[in-house]
Parts: sequence; C-alpha cells; structure tokens
Amino acid sequence: MDKWEYSESIESDSIVSIQSKYGHFIDGKFSTPNSKKYLKTVSPSTEEVLASISIGNKNDVDSAVNSAKEGLKTWSKTAPSERAKYLYKLARLIQERSREFAVLESMDGGKPIKESRDFDLPQVAANFFYFAGWADKLDISWGTKEMKPYGVVGQIIPWNFPLLMLAWKVAPALATGNTVVLKPAETTPLTALLFAELCEEIGLPKGVFNLVTGDGTTGSELVNHEGISKIAFTGSTSVGKYIQNAVGERDIGLTLELGGKAANIVYNDAALDQAVEGVVNGIFFNQGHVCCAGSRLLLQEDIHDEFINKLEKRMQTLRVGNPLDKNTDIGAINSKEQLEKITSLVNEGVNDGGELFQIECDLPSSGYWFRPSLFTNVQPSYNIAREEIFGPVLTTLTFRTPEEAVEIANNTEYGLSAGVWTEKGSKILWTADRLDAGVIWANTFNKFDPSSPFGGYKESGFGREGGRHGLLSYLKVQS
Amino acid sequence: MSKIKDQTMSSKVSWESTIGLLDSVKVDEVGVKERVSSLSTRSIKRESKLQALNYVVSMCDLTTLEGEDTEGKIHQMTAKAIKPDPTDDDVPSAAAVCVYPSLVSTAKEIIGTSNVKVASVSSYFPSGQVPIESKLLDTQYAIDEGADEIDIVINRKAFFEGDYRKVFDEIVALKEACGDKHLKTILEVGELRTYDNIKKASLIALGAGSDFIKTSTGKISNGSSKEACLVMAKAVYEFKESTGFSAGIKVAGGIRNSKDAIRYLIIIKEELGEEWLSPNFFRFGASSLLDDVLRQIRKLKTNAYQSSYYFPRG
Amino acid sequence: MTEIKKTYKNYVDGKYVRSESGKTYTIDLKSESYELPLTSKKDLRDAVTSSKKGFDSWKGLSQYNKTQIIYRLSEMLEGNRDSYVDLLLEHGLTKSTANKDIDNAINTLVWYAGLADKWEQLTGNLNPVDGEFFNISHQEPLGIVFTLNSDEVSIDKLVRSFLPALSTGCSVINLSEKNAVLSLKLAEDVNNSDIPAGTLNLLSGDFSKVYDDVSRHVEINAFASYKKLNKEILKTINENASTSVKRIFHLPSEDGLSSILPFIETKTVWHPKGR
Repeated sequence: MDKWEYSESIESDSIVSIQSKYGHFIDGKFSTPNSKKYLKTVSPSTEEVLASISIGNKNDVDSAVNSAKEGLKTWSKTAPSERAKYLYKLARLIQERSREFAVLESMDGGKPIKESRDFDLPQVAANFFYFAGWADKLDISWGTKEMKPYGVVGQIIPWNFPLLMLAWKVAPALATGNTVVLKPAETTPLTALLFAELCEEIGLPKGVFNLVTGDGTTGSELVNHEGISKIAFTGSTSVGKYIQNAVGERDIGLTLELGGKAANIVYNDAALDQAVEGVVNGIFFNQGHVCCAGSRLLLQEDIHDEFINKLEKRMQTLRVGNPLDKNTDIGAINSKEQLEKITSLVNEGVNDGGELFQIECDLPSSGYWFRPSLFTNVQPSYNIAREEIFGPVLTTLTFRTPEEAVEIANNTEYGLSAGVWTEKGSKILWTADRLDAGVIWANTFNKFDPSSPFGGYKESGFGREGGRHGLLSYLKVQS
Repeated sequence: MSKIKDQTMSSKVSWESTIGLLDSVKVDEVGVKERVSSLSTRSIKRESKLQALNYVVSMCDLTTLEGEDTEGKIHQMTAKAIKPDPTDDDVPSAAAVCVYPSLVSTAKEIIGTSNVKVASVSSYFPSGQVPIESKLLDTQYAIDEGADEIDIVINRKAFFEGDYRKVFDEIVALKEACGDKHLKTILEVGELRTYDNIKKASLIALGAGSDFIKTSTGKISNGSSKEACLVMAKAVYEFKESTGFSAGIKVAGGIRNSKDAIRYLIIIKEELGEEWLSPNFFRFGASSLLDDVLRQIRKLKTNAYQSSYYFPRG
Repeated sequence: MTEIKKTYKNYVDGKYVRSESGKTYTIDLKSESYELPLTSKKDLRDAVTSSKKGFDSWKGLSQYNKTQIIYRLSEMLEGNRDSYVDLLLEHGLTKSTANKDIDNAINTLVWYAGLADKWEQLTGNLNPVDGEFFNISHQEPLGIVFTLNSDEVSIDKLVRSFLPALSTGCSVINLSEKNAVLSLKLAEDVNNSDIPAGTLNLLSGDFSKVYDDVSRHVEINAFASYKKLNKEILKTINENASTSVKRIFHLPSEDGLSSILPFIETKTVWHPKGR
C-alpha cells in the first residue's frame, strides 16, 4: 500500500468574525481612538492582513488610566465575593467560547490549533477560575490583613501566549481588587479585543478592565504614566530593563517576567525515551516562542550519541504547517522580524562551528516558517548557547558530572526555568537545590497550572505569577 | 530443563546480551501517558481514514478462543476472514484467523489457497501454568496440525519470581519448536502492570527469538492499552537498533472500534515508521473490531451509517 | 565640651577595618565624639567580596544552627544591655525609651531567631496542580543584600534593617549613617557571636557617596532601604539596578512575615507521580 499520510483536517475559521478596524476598550466600551495611527495585524501563516489596530498615543493611554482610576472607585467598593463572581462569569464565558478564541489565537499568532485548543484556552479559563476563588480569601492567603491592592495596574503582555498571558495578569489583578490597563502585543491583539467584548457582556463595572492596543510607543506611554501604581510586564529582558529604568523615582510596584535560556539536563540514568519527548516538548512547544523553553540541552557525555539519534528521529516526525490543521505540531513563526532574528542567530551558530540538523519537510510558500533545528558540537561560548533565540532551535552541550551540569546550567544571566531528567530521586533533589531557576521541571517539562507560581531568578525578572505567591504581585504591604 | 536445546540456535541474541538490555530499562509512566494522549489528538479524516481502515482489516487476526468453539464456528469465521465484505472487492482479507490448536486443521481446510494465515495459541494459553514439556507438546501439536503462526504466553510466574532466565529459556525452546513458523509472544501487559515490567518482558521476548510481541491473551479485563503498545514499540525500536532485527507487534484485548484501532496505527506510524504499517509487522487480535471497521468503510464510501446486519457473521 | 574622640572601625569579613581611603566622619554624642569610617567605593567592593564568602558559609549551616546563632546574639545584647542603654542615653534618649528600645531589640532578635528555622513552612506550599504531578514551591535566600539603616536612634530599628534578610539565609551588607555608632558597637557582639565572617558586614558612612556603586554592583542581588530616599537617588538607583535586574526595595516592611518576603526567591519544582 501507499505511504499513509494524514489528510488535511482544518479547523474552520467561520466561527470567528474579525472587524476591519478596532478601537480601544475604555470605560466599559470600545471607543474611537484619539490617535489616528493604525497598524495592521497579519496572520503569520498566510501574511494576510486580519485587521487594523489603533496605535494608542498619550491621550489614549491617559483616557484608559483615568477610566481605571474611576473604575477603582466602584471596584474597591465591590464586595470581594462579588468580584469573585465576575471572574467566575468570565471563566465560564471563556469556556463557552473557547473554540472561537482558539481559532482566533491560531490565526493571529500562528500557533497550532491543537495547542491553542488543548493548552492555551483550557489554561485561560482555569486561571480565571482559580483566581476568582482567591478574591474573598485574601485576608487568609498570607495570614495578614495588611496587604492592599496597588490601585491602577499597567500590564504589558507578549505575543507568544497572547490570551493566556492576559489571563495570568488580569485574573489575579482583578481578584486582588486592582483595576487594569492592559496593552497586548502589537502582532497579537485580537484575542484580547475579543476578551474585552466578554467584559462588556458580563457587565464588568466600567473602567475595571481597560485595553489600549498599539506598539512599543504605546507601552512606553503606559509605563511612564503618573497614574499607574504598578507595572506588570512579560517580555524580553531588554524591554524589562528599559521598564525598570523608566520607573525611576516613582515608588511603584513592578513585576518582570523576562527571558530565559533554560538548561534541560539529561543524566545517563534517565528514562531516555520520555526524556526525548520532554526535550522535544521543551523546545518545540509553541515554535519555541516560550520564555521558559528548554533551549539548552545538557547531555551527559556517555549518552550523547544515543540520545541525539533518538532525538533526531523523533524530530523528523514533527509536522510543520498550517496552524489550523489539527495535525500540525509546529505552526508559523510569529512575525517576519522574529523569523529574521532566528535565521540570523542560526547562521551565526553555523559560522561559529556548530553542527546543524534540520528536519526535512515542505514549508508553505507564504507565511513565516522555520524548520525545527538541533545544534550539536556547540561550545558554551557560542552565541547560540547564550542568547535567547525564541524559536524552534535547540542547542546541545555536554557534561561529565552533576557538578559540571549545574555549573553549565547556571552559567547564564537568566534563571527562569530548568529541566532535570534522572530516575534517581536523590539526584533530582540535589540538582534542583543547586539550579538558579524559578521553575524546575524534573522528568517533565513545560508544565503550567494556575496554582503553580511562575517567575525567574536573576535577569529573568522578579515576582511570581500564579498560585498563592502570584497574589503578592498585586498586593502591597501596608506598614 | 533437559528439553531446552542450545539456545543460541534460535534466540536472536544471547541471554547475556538480553540481560544487558534490561539493565537500562527505565520508563516514566506519566511521560508515556502524555505521549499517547498527544498522539490521540491526531485527526484522521477522509482518504487517510479509509486507508487506515483498510490497513486494520488487513492486519486483523480474526479470533475465537472459547471452550464452545466448534468446527461450524471456525468455518464461519474463516470464511469471513477471507472475504470480510462480500459486496466490496476493495476490502482486503484479514491477516489470519486465530484459534485453539484442536481447530487449526478445520481452519486450514477452509483457508485453501487464500493468503489468510492460521494462527494457533499454544503453551497452555492463557495461563501457561504447566511445565515447559507440556508447553512444547501443545505447540508441536498446533504445528503438526498446520498452524502458520504460534501465539504463546510468557511465564508470568517466573517473571514475577525474578527468574527472567527461565522466561527467556522457555521462549527460546518454544521458538526452536516453531522452526520457521511465526512466533508471537504474549506478555499479558495487564498482569505485568508497570511499564518497566512491560519493557523488560518485551526485551526478554525479543531477545529469545520472538517474531512478534503481543499485548494480551484477551482473557483478562485490562487487555491491551495504547500505553503498553507505545512502550512495546520503544522496545522493538531499541532491539532493532542493537540487533538489526525488526520485530512485529500484535495488540489484542479490548480493541472494539475503528477509532481506537486507528489510534494504535498512529502510534506505530509515528514511533516505528511506515515500514511497520503492514501485516508483517503489526496485527490486531480481535473479534468484534472487524465489524465496526467494515461499517466505517462502507459509511465513508456511501456517506450513510451502516447496520451490522449488512455484514456476514464471523 | 571636652573632645574625647573614640574611633570605631567598619566590621567587614569578621574584622575591624578602617576605610582604605582613610576618610572618616564624626558623630557627636552628648559627652563623646566618635570618629567613624566614611565607607568608600573600594570598601564597598571589599565588603561584597567578603559577603560572597559569607553567603556560602551561612548557607552551609542548618536552619537550626542559624536559629541558635541569632539567639546567641540576643543573649549577648542581654548581657551587655547596660552598655547599650548608656550609649542610647548618650544619643539623647530618655532612660525609659532606651530601656524599651533594647528590650525591643532583644525581642526582635529572639523573634527572628525563631523564624530562621520556620519561615520556609510559612512561605512555601504544595500546589494542587492538575494531572499526575507533585508540585511544590519553596524559597531560597536571594543572595547578597545591601541594606540601608534608618536614621532613627534605635537598636531595634538597626537589627530590623538586617534580620529579615539574614534570617532567611542572605548575607547582608548594612550601612548606617547617623546611627553608625550603634551599629559598630553592635559589631562587637556580632563578632563574638558565631555569625560567620562576611555573613553580616556592618559599615558606616554616607549613602549618597556610595549609592551609585551599590546599585551598579552586579553581585549585590538586592538593595533595601529602611530610610526614605529622595527622588533623585531613587531614580539613579532604579536606573542602575535595571542593568542587571537587581531587586530594589524602598521602605520594605519591618515586621512579621512580610518583612522577609523581599529577600527570598520562590522555586517551584514539578515531578510526575507514576509507577
């Protein structure tokens, strides 16, 4: 018989309706932007223009912050148990409309529908459910009543998990009694705009959630706005540093969730087949557009060849293509700019002397694509072993002893996450104790849960999102 | 064990090499489940679904293993294996019929010149709780009756007692008795329970010379599972890497519908590759599965859901 | 007023040292004047080097051990309470305020001593994640922390400016300005306690001379000011800190569990549960 190929199985996009042009969501409704400048959000898998998005200017940000200040008056008088109910309603509505959100997310951002459908959306709803329940338990969350909301919180989120990052930020901020001005990423604003519609639909009090779209200039206006009491940012380390700098003399709250270059350490006594899966999931999940991606594979020298052999064979089964095809494992690179960055770093790696393996596969003719890639023969000094590539590119390094593994793992300014693979329990604990990272996945990778705190050590940022610890990012201690 | 001859004649690798493979067996249960659950989201539609369903028919070992089996029952089932859907010539024959030794000759008669094989369970299926001498007699009888393939059970008693050598030696002896007949070794994964055990048993069976490893007798409630199949596929791959020998996998026990069967095919395709998608390397042991597959095939061709009374009894 | 000038030295790496610059400043108390080192940039760098060592030594001790060491310090303050009271009176406090302050300081030491082996139980927890996973969040000390003491004449305030960080396992470089006499007096008891060399470095001087370096030094993981800073300084500190994403805490809590939260990092570990 012929080779068994999976036929196309395309998730229909008829469920979503996209407007040609969007305004900001301020004071409980969509409004005409003050700024007359627009940017186009394109589908990275087709390069088709999906919609025009307003680039919010100083006046737009001003209106949003003022609206949030007004909203705070209502919100702070709303009983905690009532705040909880709004969040529960949002959670329910997200569940009901999750297919629509998932399709939109995949169209706007390029991620495979199986991920937006099976990962992003369930996690989004779970975050609202989880934090809803905290709203009326804040006084027992940390055993003190001395903690109060900041007030108006400015939130800036990235393009890799657009709606999930919104949930990570908005759910705890509202649960703790803050009001929000959110700026989504310029390449992926559509699910946030749809979320704003839900806020209107459930009758969330005006001004509690505000949305200003735009680019870096809009973000900068938000960060520098005097009416903001707290900034929560997820994105690159360089922008994070800019924000910390811009906070300057203003004594406001700040949480930063920045970049990473996580080590995924595989010891020779690991369950190798599952480690291969974990390594693949660690770097190729969401095209590697993951701040906690396991982008440095640390292999114990004596299993290097066997492991690379298994890994390359497994990589070859990854299916790259249309994000809306239910059988796609690797979707499109989020933007042209990101594709250029990945390409240039990979070229540099080859020039440095790294040995590059890329899977054989057809790539669609339009859109932004990058073949899943694996570097071996890499020295720790190469840029591909140090810089965050934020793409489907894995770099392999080797080690001889646990001490050496930890040393290499920690030899970076980042400290967001790390992976450890061994069937020896005490070695997991020994290693986990020594890794400078906020999240450690042992014998698994890229696991997330609303109840599990996430955030980095060192230059990967500060503050935690998720769990009981995530509440602290939105509550300040009153002395 | 005087009846066991020089094992090197039929085992694929020596006991020493096999025990070496066992040393590194480490399987993480949650990782296995995750991989299976991720593969289960594959969406198989239209042409690829039809192709898959035809594969399933061609890989079916149509099975009856009951005390009440009679020649009449075997006649019916064998006829169905040869021509599963008399109205559709594009539907292939099943791979084999699988019966008890006393019914092998009956099945053989009906098979005639068709390509359908006759498989017999032996070695005191399903428990295997007799001395090797009896297992050898049982097997020899099935071969003498004309069986093309022999499905044996591993000695779980020895396995759980830690006597892996005995498990290995018995398979070697039974393979010896089989000669060029295909030997499928049943691990009974539902009894082995852990994936470490399943992988160890797989490697012992492969090292001892099995042509196929098989999940279950179908006589216990937790027969086959996709997770067990995945772990067995990993063992088959590893064994091929170290010896060059490509073994087959047979899944049996509780696979009743097309959707489930296709999920097994996906595991095999993605873990072992296209070359395993053939009755030479992959089989389903089933009785009721075939009807559902035939119904699905006709549904795809006619776009109408079918009733089982359109298809002859097996 | 008769000029009897007493000289105090910085306490760095378990030793009393002058400023390498040789510069000093004077604090005049009621009957005595004190000459104190004006910490220089070089002094700061030396303190950081010592603190790195001190962090490892402190980390190497069990929490139980840390508890005993901090408790021992409280015993030493208790033993020397008269001399502390005298010094507070010299600073112009009334007898009752002075007595109350040393009592408070001792109680604070005892409280943090008892926290050193318990805080992880209060700040960490198991997380009820979905799926077959064990998931726990626990905390680790941030590393090297620079703290600025307030100007309030108080030994209690002084100890509160380093105990939150110290009790969680950080090593601390503590700078006192107007209160440096109290701090360097305390250094004598610190030196006689079993706090490892470099774990707690006590400096005197003028923060405005060193804040630029403090906030730039990459090996200082966090800066906490228990004194209100002016906007200009705060601006520079945040700007400098941003180059290495240093943690900056302006007027953090000095009380209770919330006082230690700035100085710990949350580490979350996942592991599957399977057979």
